[in-house]
Amino acid sequence: MKTGLLVISMMLVVGAALTGCATSGDLEKVQAQQNLINAKAEQALQDAQAAKAAADAAKQKADDATARADNAEKAAAEREKIADEKAKRADAAFQKSMRK
Amino acid sequence: MRRIANWLCFIALCTALASLNGCAVMKNVQEPSHPESEIKRNNFQVVRGDDVVGQLAVIKLEEGDTLPDIARHFGLGINAISAANPGVDVWVPKAGERIMLPLSFILPDAPRKGIVINQATMRLFQFKGNSPSLAVSTYPIGVGTEERPTPMGQTRVARKAPRPTWHVPASIAADHRKKGDILPAEIPPGPENPLGEYALYLSKTGYLIHGTNKPASIGLRATNGCMRLYPENIAMLYKDTPVNTPVLIVNQPYLIGQRDGVLYLEAHTPFEGSGAGELEKINAKLKSIEKQSARTIDWKKVKEVQSEARGIPVPILEMGQGGHKEEVKPVKVEHPDTLYGRPAIPELKLEAWYVLAADVREEIDARRIAAIINHQGPPIPARVLSKSNGYRVVAGPFDTISAAREAAKRLKIDLDIDGIVIEPVKQI
Repeated sequence: MKTGLLVISMMLVVGAALTGCATSGDLEKVQAQQNLINAKAEQALQDAQAAKAAADAAKQKADDATARADNAEKAAAEREKIADEKAKRADAAFQKSMRK
Repeated sequence: MRRIANWLCFIALCTALASLNGCAVMKNVQEPSHPESEIKRNNFQVVRGDDVVGQLAVIKLEEGDTLPDIARHFGLGINAISAANPGVDVWVPKAGERIMLPLSFILPDAPRKGIVINQATMRLFQFKGNSPSLAVSTYPIGVGTEERPTPMGQTRVARKAPRPTWHVPASIAADHRKKGDILPAEIPPGPENPLGEYALYLSKTGYLIHGTNKPASIGLRATNGCMRLYPENIAMLYKDTPVNTPVLIVNQPYLIGQRDGVLYLEAHTPFEGSGAGELEKINAKLKSIEKQSARTIDWKKVKEVQSEARGIPVPILEMGQGGHKEEVKPVKVEHPDTLYGRPAIPELKLEAWYVLAADVREEIDARRIAAIINHQGPPIPARVLSKSNGYRVVAGPFDTISAAREAAKRLKIDLDIDGIVIEPVKQI
């Protein structure tokens, strides 16, 4: 009876020890996967940062272009106003010159 | 017998030749040589019951055209052509641009007898004959300024004079003196005489209908109360107007009239102070017509025509059967090879004197200044010369230094331009 119990106990210990060995391999695998994912995440982060930087740069460019367009429009309007004023002044001078 | 027949043939040939010659001479006197005559400018038959004469037209502009040149060629004033073509540059319009020639006119609301002058539209109407064969000749005019307006009311032609002498009124002499221009007491006939070649003296003392040495002023408020016409128009009016012809001067910026059963409205920018009253009068008249005809006037259209003030008759109401309110399409007119009266610019000569009138960056500014100088009276030839970083306006050529100095003086007095006299190029 005692011998039987001893055998069962030993088998349980061996089984338990064998189970413990399997968990350690899994851990290494998980570790490797984590590393890969981390690397991917790092890459993704870098990509996202690069994309954001590019987007920011594009926005800046767009803002600059809008500002330049606004300025050009303002300058064109100003030029047109000046041209109109010049034309009006010239016309007024002409009308005055047509008097006796 | 054969000898008599030969003589008869000879006499017939001579008569035919003489009559042909006469026609040519008459043509030269009566009409300026407009090569294309498909559009009527001045002379119209007035159909019984109608108040509208003439026809609208359009023309495509060419490089170098100015609105004053187009206006003169087609017997229009600068006011009329500018109002009909809002937004078009008077002096530097774009080549290829189509512009309206407002050659359709509603006759003024006045008896159709003698001469009727509508100040607001700056047009003179001369009625000839009686209904049903009533004819009208119409010419654009220049009228008095705001400070020295043309007087209104009934008057008559008291006397006529070809090649009149201008006795300078004290007020005008004083105005010129302020600008440093000393005028003589009288100016004899010639290019310096602002009365031009013919004058009709009105019974209202001091007021004349006359020609001009400043044709570009027709359609402007630029006189001291007189009415001035293009040289070619005063020649015709002078010939057709006997002494004692009645002259009625009215101010009607808003005109209504019928043609072919359609009521038209023509609106012009009113002179200061007369707008509201005239608008009220014309609207009351329109309401009365609407009531009588039992038809509805398009009041939105009426307001639009009145506010735009383009000086063009616009259909606003069908008065009866057969009337079609659709606007009549303007006639297309070919651009003539030469525009009548356009200032000529002589070729450049190295041995001549010039006046540098302007030095500017933009070509359009240079072209405008040159055009304005060209249209002075008497004309001062001017052209644009390009340089590496801009454009120069140069007046001339002048044969002598005194002619160049005189031109520079006129540029200063009339246009406030400080011209620089340029001496001839010394040839080696």
